[in-house]
Amino acid sequence: MDDFGQVRKEAARILSEKKVDVVLGFKSGTIPLKAQPAFITSAKDANTLILDGFCQNNLAVFLHDLPKDKRIGFICRGCESRAVRALAIEHQVKRENLYLIGVPCSGILDWKKIQDEVEGPITSAVDNGKEIILEIHGEKQTLKRNAFLVDSCRTCTGIEPVGTDVIIGEVHLLDLDDDELPPTWAEEFEKHSPEERYQLFTEETDRCIRCYACREACPMCYCAECFVDHIMPRWSESMVTRGGTQAWHLIRAFHQTGRCVECGACERACPMDIKMTYMTDKLNADMKKKYGFEVGADDEKQPPFATITLDDKNRFVS
Amino acid sequence: MTSKVIKKDALNKTITGWMRSYDVIAPVSSKEGIHFRKISDAKEFTLQGNQKPNYPPKSIFLPQSEVLFEIKDGSYSMPEAPKRRQIILGMRSCDARAAWLLDTVFNQAEELDLYWARKREKALVVSFGCASMCSSGFCDTVGSGPFGKEGSDVMVTELDEAYYLEPLTEAGEKLTEKLDNAESGHSKAAKEIQKSSVVKEHTQADLSKINEKLYEAFDTPIWKEISESCLGCGVCTYLCPTCFCFDIVDEVDRSERVRNWDTCMFRIYSQEASGHNPRPSKAERTRQRIMHKFAYWVDNEKASGCTGCGRCVALCPVNLDIREMVQVITGLPIQ
Amino acid sequence: MKNIYKPIPMRIERIIRETDDGSLRSFELTFNNPADEKAFFKAYNPGQFCQLSIFGKGEAPFGIASAAWEGNFVRFTVQNVGSFTDTIHRAKVGDEIGIRGPLGNGFPIWDWNGKDLVVIGGGCAFSTLYALTKHIMHPKQRKDYGRIVVIYGARSSGLCLYKPDIKSWYERPDMEIHQAIDVPEEGWDFHTGYVPDVVKVVAPSPKNSVAVVCGPPIMTKFTLPILVDLGFTPESIYTSLEKRMKCGVGKCGRCNLGTQYICKDGPVFSLAELNELPLDL
Repeated sequence: MDDFGQVRKEAARILSEKKVDVVLGFKSGTIPLKAQPAFITSAKDANTLILDGFCQNNLAVFLHDLPKDKRIGFICRGCESRAVRALAIEHQVKRENLYLIGVPCSGILDWKKIQDEVEGPITSAVDNGKEIILEIHGEKQTLKRNAFLVDSCRTCTGIEPVGTDVIIGEVHLLDLDDDELPPTWAEEFEKHSPEERYQLFTEETDRCIRCYACREACPMCYCAECFVDHIMPRWSESMVTRGGTQAWHLIRAFHQTGRCVECGACERACPMDIKMTYMTDKLNADMKKKYGFEVGADDEKQPPFATITLDDKNRFVS
Repeated sequence: MTSKVIKKDALNKTITGWMRSYDVIAPVSSKEGIHFRKISDAKEFTLQGNQKPNYPPKSIFLPQSEVLFEIKDGSYSMPEAPKRRQIILGMRSCDARAAWLLDTVFNQAEELDLYWARKREKALVVSFGCASMCSSGFCDTVGSGPFGKEGSDVMVTELDEAYYLEPLTEAGEKLTEKLDNAESGHSKAAKEIQKSSVVKEHTQADLSKINEKLYEAFDTPIWKEISESCLGCGVCTYLCPTCFCFDIVDEVDRSERVRNWDTCMFRIYSQEASGHNPRPSKAERTRQRIMHKFAYWVDNEKASGCTGCGRCVALCPVNLDIREMVQVITGLPIQ
Repeated sequence: MKNIYKPIPMRIERIIRETDDGSLRSFELTFNNPADEKAFFKAYNPGQFCQLSIFGKGEAPFGIASAAWEGNFVRFTVQNVGSFTDTIHRAKVGDEIGIRGPLGNGFPIWDWNGKDLVVIGGGCAFSTLYALTKHIMHPKQRKDYGRIVVIYGARSSGLCLYKPDIKSWYERPDMEIHQAIDVPEEGWDFHTGYVPDVVKVVAPSPKNSVAVVCGPPIMTKFTLPILVDLGFTPESIYTSLEKRMKCGVGKCGRCNLGTQYICKDGPVFSLAELNELPLDL
């Protein structure tokens, strides 16, 4: 049985033994290149679970909606397991109610890039971990997987699931032949002067439509009332003006400082293909450098920018 | 009305001619994707295959943010109307139909929405039909099709050597009157293309039965099940060419009263001052969206509020497919 | 061409402190432009509402609490519950405020000619019923209607609205007025108890009658079944619905209820019409 078959078996087991009430994973999507989140409540449905590069979401986002007393089995990749750790530290989930099944990850695929690469409607798509096999007008076309990874997966250093109850399958680092791949957007960004960077940021965010898909896809964005929805005082306008939109992106990035698990779910959710992970990547890198803090590295350390202690150095606090 | 043709290599010249009397708004491709923009050169108009912009062209008539009034010394003045007439070139039938549906909301003599009406009055829609349907589209199952006529002044079919133009309204006829008449060979080729553009496996959705079944399901728990993976973002409604909900806000710093797109999928949309929320969870909000598109629109206008453009299907971050949802609730297919 | 989003400029002519605690005030507004006044009263029908508009604070809907014959003003009774209503409560005579209206369908009083009317109101939702009653009690209209029974409940005597007028209604031979307060008070001569219970006690006859109910949702919820029990048909029971509104003219989608917009197709609906609508209120 292949690795993921073992995962399905484990999911079925914890359900039939009533160790959990629901298993959170993915199932096939309704159109090629897509997958849907799955909430499996019965062991017989465990065989619908899948995992491939078309599984775009960070499923930890659903932990907020499921009733807090439910016991949840969660098939999680590296970034998802880091999100669970971060949420547990912020008291948003009860770790004892979760059964985490860690799984290896080959990186998530950029479905838009795949679509743009080929001519004609894709009628089926299979990701076998090495190649993407497409069917277009009845003909097969194969693409090399690595060229179609999303940027945040290419720079992923946390592929090993952390803090899980089991890990099923062998976790490998991504086998990327860097010579073959163009630089990531973040790498490009760093090469520019501050003025040019602002220009790039403006060009990206000018097409933002304030749908908040980035916020809703993010497991760490769980505020009952987001700052953009707050009216008195009003922190940011809802009009699609540069002022309002740029404030949205910048403030959200800052609210994620030291909390973002670098999964890239925000960018993948964006219907306007706006780059945004470069900001949180940089802020997280700064947190590591200045505070020695890395989100998800352990399950105790509090994120510095989300915590106040009595001996805080800032004078206005203590 | 007489059909016309433009030879392939004469299209840009025709567009340039139009640009003398009209502002031409057309899809332009750039690294930011495809967006409708006012073009200053006919060559900027790029539309290939069945491409269409993710951002819906309803924004041309109902901008995402629109100034309703400029307030000076307590008096409210409406911003000036666009002066030049516009040609919206390269619309798809799904989007043109959507504008036609929204006319029933905004463009009725009783309680006319002046902001919408004065833009529509000055605009001509020249649509390009899709010879093959887009992968997530289903316009042919909800009462229309890739060459659906509603909402367009001219429908263009791309032939091998030429473009075949069918004027559908008086305004469309006037726009195309000086072009060469189409010959029977052109018409025949166009009809063939139009006929084969639909997906053979697709069948017409039974809108009235779907409507009936949706009402029957209104008070059942099915809505909770189908909305379980919904993130509660606004992608589906903002990209939808027929969604029209808006919010009105006073921008004190700029002395403007503006309207912005809003969405029934946000929790705060229906939040009342008392604290009560008639749609407290994703289940009720998903129910509202689906009932509105496939029940209330059908009741009020005898037409589906969904034009099958497929944007919500392609771009929902969790691949919630409205066709699948309707099928699960009603047992009836929308392909 | 009329811009449906443009407020009509008005002036606050008179402010009446309705309740003892000042939480409810009535504002009588006059028109800056005679043409606006003419158009307003030509269109106005009791049961309609207006969007009051203050730039910088937004807009909110308020039922019209006056009858056309009362004068060239429009009265609104406003409860101080939030930032918008607080701003209105701080206004003074002479201040300018905008209105958009009259909006909505109002009560279909022409369908009620020759019938007895049972007017049941609770709290500050009584404002449009007050307008309705004032309109019908005018000699010009009174002969078109039969018996009039008014049942009006408030939480306490201090919170009753329109006290001078209601006091005078007790003297009128051509109407019956029943007031109620929630809990007993010294010196209160009338009913004590919740409005639905008072309706049971008064037990108006359904014969050739129409009942109109306006109150907090919970009051309406319990009153409607009592009227049905008394024999009122769903076609003869009317209520006025509330939902969050923005444009007030059936465009922005917010107050959508099934196939209807509460601002445009309502806010007045008969129980028969409500029974056809999916109720996500």
